Amino acid sequence: MTTPAIRIQGLTKDFSVGMRGLKLRAVDGLNLEVGDNEILGLLGPNGSGKSTTIKIILGLLQASVGECQIYGKPSHTVDARRSVGFLPEAPYFYRYLSGRELIRFYARVCGVPRSQIKEQVDSVIELVGMTEATHRRVGTYSKGMLQRIGLAQALVHDPQLVILDEPTAGVDPLGSAAIAEIIRELKRRGKTILLSSHLLAQIEGLCDRVAILHRGKLVREGRVDDLVQDQHTESLVVEGLSPAGRAAVEQAITAEGGRLCRVEKPRLSLDALFLKEVQQQEAVRSDSTDTVEQGGKHD
Amino acid sequence: MIDSINRLRFIAGNTFLEAVRQKFFNSLLLISIALLASSTFFQQFDFGTNELKFITDFGFGALFFFGSILSVTATTQLFFNEIENRTALTMLAKPIHKLEFLAGKFFGAHMLMLCFTAVITLVLAGMLYWRETELMARLGDAFIDGRLVNYSDIFVFGLLQWMKFGVLTAITLFIASFSNTNLYTIVVSFFVLIICQLQYIARDAYSTMEAGIGRWLVQFLGLIFPNFQLFNIGDQLVFNVKAPIPAVTILQIVGYGLIYTVVFVLLAHVNFRRREI
Amino acid sequence: MHEGSFIEHPLVIRLRRIVVVLLVLIFVGALLRPIESPAWQVVKSGQSELNLEGIEGSLGQGLVVGVLGGFRAIMADFMWIRVNTIWERRDRTKLDAMIRLSTTLDPRQSFFWFNGARMIAYDVPNWRIREEGGYSEVPDSRQDEINREQAEQAFIFLEKAREFHPDEPKLVVEVAQIYLNRLKDIPNAADWFLKTSKMPNAPYFAARIYAELLRRQGLDREAYDYLRELYSELPNDPYAQKNIILERIRTLESILEVQYLLRFNPGDVSPVIAPANSHPEHSHHGHNH
Repeated sequence: MTTPAIRIQGLTKDFSVGMRGLKLRAVDGLNLEVGDNEILGLLGPNGSGKSTTIKIILGLLQASVGECQIYGKPSHTVDARRSVGFLPEAPYFYRYLSGRELIRFYARVCGVPRSQIKEQVDSVIELVGMTEATHRRVGTYSKGMLQRIGLAQALVHDPQLVILDEPTAGVDPLGSAAIAEIIRELKRRGKTILLSSHLLAQIEGLCDRVAILHRGKLVREGRVDDLVQDQHTESLVVEGLSPAGRAAVEQAITAEGGRLCRVEKPRLSLDALFLKEVQQQEAVRSDSTDTVEQGGKHD
Repeated sequence: MIDSINRLRFIAGNTFLEAVRQKFFNSLLLISIALLASSTFFQQFDFGTNELKFITDFGFGALFFFGSILSVTATTQLFFNEIENRTALTMLAKPIHKLEFLAGKFFGAHMLMLCFTAVITLVLAGMLYWRETELMARLGDAFIDGRLVNYSDIFVFGLLQWMKFGVLTAITLFIASFSNTNLYTIVVSFFVLIICQLQYIARDAYSTMEAGIGRWLVQFLGLIFPNFQLFNIGDQLVFNVKAPIPAVTILQIVGYGLIYTVVFVLLAHVNFRRREI
Repeated sequence: MHEGSFIEHPLVIRLRRIVVVLLVLIFVGALLRPIESPAWQVVKSGQSELNLEGIEGSLGQGLVVGVLGGFRAIMADFMWIRVNTIWERRDRTKLDAMIRLSTTLDPRQSFFWFNGARMIAYDVPNWRIREEGGYSEVPDSRQDEINREQAEQAFIFLEKAREFHPDEPKLVVEVAQIYLNRLKDIPNAADWFLKTSKMPNAPYFAARIYAELLRRQGLDREAYDYLRELYSELPNDPYAQKNIILERIRTLESILEVQYLLRFNPGDVSPVIAPANSHPEHSHHGHNH
């Protein structure tokens, strides 16, 4: 069996509140494993202990009880962090640097060898689709761009484990979709991804597994399909069925011992609708610009 | 080890860059230079060679006053910017020791102070040289032994002030390491600065006090706070030809500053390690 | 939420940390004493004003900050500029306070001291006499009284100055000048010129004036003996103006009718041209009266 990317055992974190010695338990006896090359979604409402868990994994906080390992190394060691890339929630960077300077700076701090810096920086910038904006100052970036440059800095030293805290919070659906696509690409490249979110719809189709936290405790954990699917029901989606045909189907169901629970029109999610529309528009636009450019070249 | 020094260098360089691009630094530098330049106003009083003393007072005063402000506020700002903007989160999630991060912040701020001190001392030396040359032409008599101002000593004084700013920066960093707000850090740091500036009174007082709890307390105070008065030897350096400060003393003062700086950075690290970011 | 044990109480933890930090600092302070102490002795010995006792009470709120460091010198400079403007306006009560404030803030400046003394001894009596009706109206006895009062103040002021600058002849000769010029008190003036002349770095003129004052008191013989001795002690420095002294010796010899053979023989002193020594005759800065 291979070493899991993250292994958390009996993790508890207490914070002291005020001067009276009261303690607030942010994480309570958490056990969790994230396998290599897996996308795990850490879900939960605000204040459920997601960020605290992530901070402990990153060695930014010390656990009160329990332990946490990254690829077999205790998470609070600097050595463990060599294989981790992190994108904080709503990141904010040194605004007076340009995008490229920023990524270069992080690459150097992470100890990327001199000879590989340029190549590495270029490749992550391309991966996050920021090639055109790298010369602008970070201070001028939109939220979505900040999120993408944040992803680039998390990936610049080619970590095996990538931790993303609310990567799609505050980003428009188009941006979220782009980030989701980058995450899928990372998985294809063999990376392990841990992401936290409270925007369930956005990560539903992304995660292999999810863990749901509530008040610091693990409530549910498992494969998304296993958790979401109702194992006892099935739905048929049909097209062009006449009323008579429908009556026949309903009859057949009853005859076979089934029960028709409900009949409804399949709905497209609003996200999906938005994406479909925008993508169509973009396709039309790029088609027309292509024609214009080609025309220009012929001249 | 080399990796560690490199990381420290990058963090310090970045901190310095951030500080230099702040309006605050530039305006403070301009105000200090303007203050220095305004000392030409003494010309109209016809103080003779004492004009040089007035200009030096102004230069040293500007260096001390604005330097202290800059060193406390810039350090606080640079530290809390990282915390509040959560860039510290990104930095510390990298394979970096917290001490490297903190020392990087310190060196960035310290380089800023070096820049500030160098500019002020250069402008001061330039102003003095210009006025002294003019005065020499006018009042030849007073300059029989040559120039009155000891120019190299201006820079020795600059160095000592820089060392003092180093201790102050480290103290500010230490206070920032356990405080929650900008304002608290700045206020407490200035408070400590004033105590350090005046601790010599306590330090000298206990030698004449009667033994007892009072004396014990005063001695205790003298031991806790570094003696900043030790670095203020500008007048002895620049104008005193009769009894120049021995090089050993200068070295002792530099060593004193260095050790305190290291101690406060390490104390800051102990706090910072436990800090929840 | 739940209660922690006593040792884990945040207050206890915090207190423990503070104690540890204090102990570390005390340890470092004690460890550095051997470096700090000798350096501090050197630094302190050069700054006689490193005692704040004199300032207490006389300062306004705004000044306190200035007192706390490198700004004290600047404050003193500004006070001195204020002294000058007040002097122009002839506001004598304020003048007195401001002179004292400048010298308290920065006693290193002998410049502040003797210029302040001159204002107190020379200018203020003029103003007071004018306030009371002018030189022609105020009776001489009253004028003398005013002059004496002001001179006394200046003497006290200069005495304080000498505590900070025990080797500064300018502060001693200033007393002599006040006796001579303002009080017309020749015996006392002579005493003080003599005192000045015995100081290292004393201006040459102090001794010459002393001799001159002996003469004015009718002590020609004493003046003659003194000048003879002075002449042989003086270095061959053009600033010493030995030729003038010789001239005076000759005058006195003719007045005292000294026998030709007993007359002073300067020996073979060749005339000096090179400005070898560094004592300028005297240099007055600032105020002219």
